[in-house]
Amino acid sequence: MAPRRSPAATLGKALAEKRVLVTCGSGGVGKTTTAAALAVRAALRGRRVLVCTIDPSRRLATSLGKGQLSGRPRAIELKGLSPARGGTLHAMMLDVKGTFDALVTRHTQDAEARDRILKNRFYQHVSAALAGSHEYMAMEKLFELAQDERFELVVLDTPPTRHALDFLEAPDRLLAFLDVGVLRFFLRPYFVAGRLTVKVATRTGAALLKIADRFMGLQFLQELSEFFLAFEGMYDGFRKRAAEVHALLRAESTGFVLVAGPQPQALEEALFFHHRLVEKRMSFVAFLVNRVHTDPARERGARRGGRAVMAPELGALLTTTLREQQVLARVERRAVARLEVDTRERPVLVPELEQDVHDLRGLAAFAELVFEGAPERARAAEATP
Amino acid sequence: MLLDSLVARRLVVLTGKGGVGKSVVGAALALAARARRKRVLLVEVGAALEASRRLGGPPSRGRETEALPGLFTLNLEPQAVMDEYVRHMVKLDLVARRVLASPIYHRFFAAAPGLKELMVLGKIMVLEEARRRLSREPLWDLIVVDAPATGHGLAYLKVPLAASLAVPVGPIGHNARRILTLLRDRERTALVVVAAPEEMAVVEAVELYRAAESGVGIEPSAVVLNGCHERRFSDEDEAEVLRLATSGATGDLEPGVPLAAAVRAARRQIRRRKLTRFYRDRLKRSLGSPLVSLPFLFRETLGLAELGTLADALESA
Repeated sequence: MAPRRSPAATLGKALAEKRVLVTCGSGGVGKTTTAAALAVRAALRGRRVLVCTIDPSRRLATSLGKGQLSGRPRAIELKGLSPARGGTLHAMMLDVKGTFDALVTRHTQDAEARDRILKNRFYQHVSAALAGSHEYMAMEKLFELAQDERFELVVLDTPPTRHALDFLEAPDRLLAFLDVGVLRFFLRPYFVAGRLTVKVATRTGAALLKIADRFMGLQFLQELSEFFLAFEGMYDGFRKRAAEVHALLRAESTGFVLVAGPQPQALEEALFFHHRLVEKRMSFVAFLVNRVHTDPARERGARRGGRAVMAPELGALLTTTLREQQVLARVERRAVARLEVDTRERPVLVPELEQDVHDLRGLAAFAELVFEGAPERARAAEATP
Repeated sequence: MLLDSLVARRLVVLTGKGGVGKSVVGAALALAARARRKRVLLVEVGAALEASRRLGGPPSRGRETEALPGLFTLNLEPQAVMDEYVRHMVKLDLVARRVLASPIYHRFFAAAPGLKELMVLGKIMVLEEARRRLSREPLWDLIVVDAPATGHGLAYLKVPLAASLAVPVGPIGHNARRILTLLRDRERTALVVVAAPEEMAVVEAVELYRAAESGVGIEPSAVVLNGCHERRFSDEDEAEVLRLATSGATGDLEPGVPLAAAVRAARRQIRRRKLTRFYRDRLKRSLGSPLVSLPFLFRETLGLAELGTLADALESA
């Protein structure tokens, strides 16, 4: 058997070849930073890259050193980082409402039908304000971006794990929803007459209607039914698109990078996510574990021998400080080892950085750490007195 | 002082970026309130049974479960809350079961935007309103809610407002408005933003804080900065550590404790405590609420003992 590639090399290959890379993980593990750093890396190596976040909290903008990102790709200046020929970087943030509006505009036959939806009160408040529409629209946008000839690689940053799962399932769910035509089933006959007049064939159906009425009220059902009736002509377009997104996520040219923190709980979530990816036959690329705490005594330059001369109080403080960090390093080492056993995958480990990353240069340095390990110079600085 | 103001309310909602330790802060807060003889319910949204696990109690499977005397945990799974609601609405058991088994019901629930959030918040409102049968005293003195990670900013807290605007009349609008009133009522509810001393977590905490104020009309009551590293070495000792780091440290402080490694560890500690100070100052400058720091704990596990340490820190804040 050929020797397996190192995880960093696998990641590097994906970065050079894939069309879409999705970073997933729970919150607070440096997912956005990772997405941005991978995008910067690919751009510096000569690819035309777009990095897109569906996170409305502008973290990507922060790490790219930009005050604001919008729903349109915006060029990020790479000057000073000496990118390879042809390499460009764009960044954007998903505009949920705008994407939804564009979708409606694309799929409606005429201006009247379009306006009927865009002006529906339910649509206006629900399309942008509520969770769930983010996932639908992210998928829509991702699909569009993946077709965009301007970019060779799209790096997509996703919301925290539980949402990220929603995100993967969004197209399937939308399909299931449209397949049954749930709302058509119990809303349409109901409201054609505008009142609760219809006789429903089954008792279950009648009970469903009763719940819907008691819980949501006639007014809500009316709005909802108008909304869905307005969407009537769009179902086929939706279904087709959902199927295409489904295929895109499973395509060989799409890959998933699972980002995690080194804490046992964060790695458990990464493991869970890995299972889901495998189950869904989506292409796993690598685990990337951020902010790993190393044991200072295991690093180079921890020279031993003889007894150190030291004021006892300071000596005791120093001992405590080292022991604390060793506890942390041990806990993390064990958690990483468990992940390796469970998944038979070696993660890329990125040590805690000296400084928080919040600009392009920092991102490039972060990527270097991912692919080349700690630069020799920094290592030497740590090691030599 | 902070605890005084929090336990005087009925509901404490914790929010913050994922990974900052919201659930740990929630459990510590519940313990601190319990120490003040409050009857506390700690609510987690979703299947995670983390709170009960950390507190050493049995897992709460959708029911109020006593983890410690006077401290209960409850996990709210949106689907289960909705099912419970259906059973409540449809008195006939057989029909209720048919509805719950119906694929249409499940698909509707999975796809209807905002419904999950609204059901969970509605349930929390019902818990807040629950009274004892005879005395009419509140069933819970304090309810602590660990809201889901804010991947979508304030998605959860925005739902009642959005729903009340989308459907002004009818039961949904009515209940959404009642939930909103509860959340906005500073006498009854405290919104607490949890942050960690890191760039992104602080940026997000500030954003969350402002979005809660301006977007939802809920003014946060406090900010908890979790995982702080405090000063350990005096100025002279810090200088000595830096000197040792550059002049070369050899030998062992004691067997198995090489001085060079300990000095390296100390440098990290110094860097972290400076970062803590930097971010704490920034939060204080940007936000109006009181700020409480909780220490970073170097432990193998975060169990009852460690939560007790954090609860004490909250008590003395």
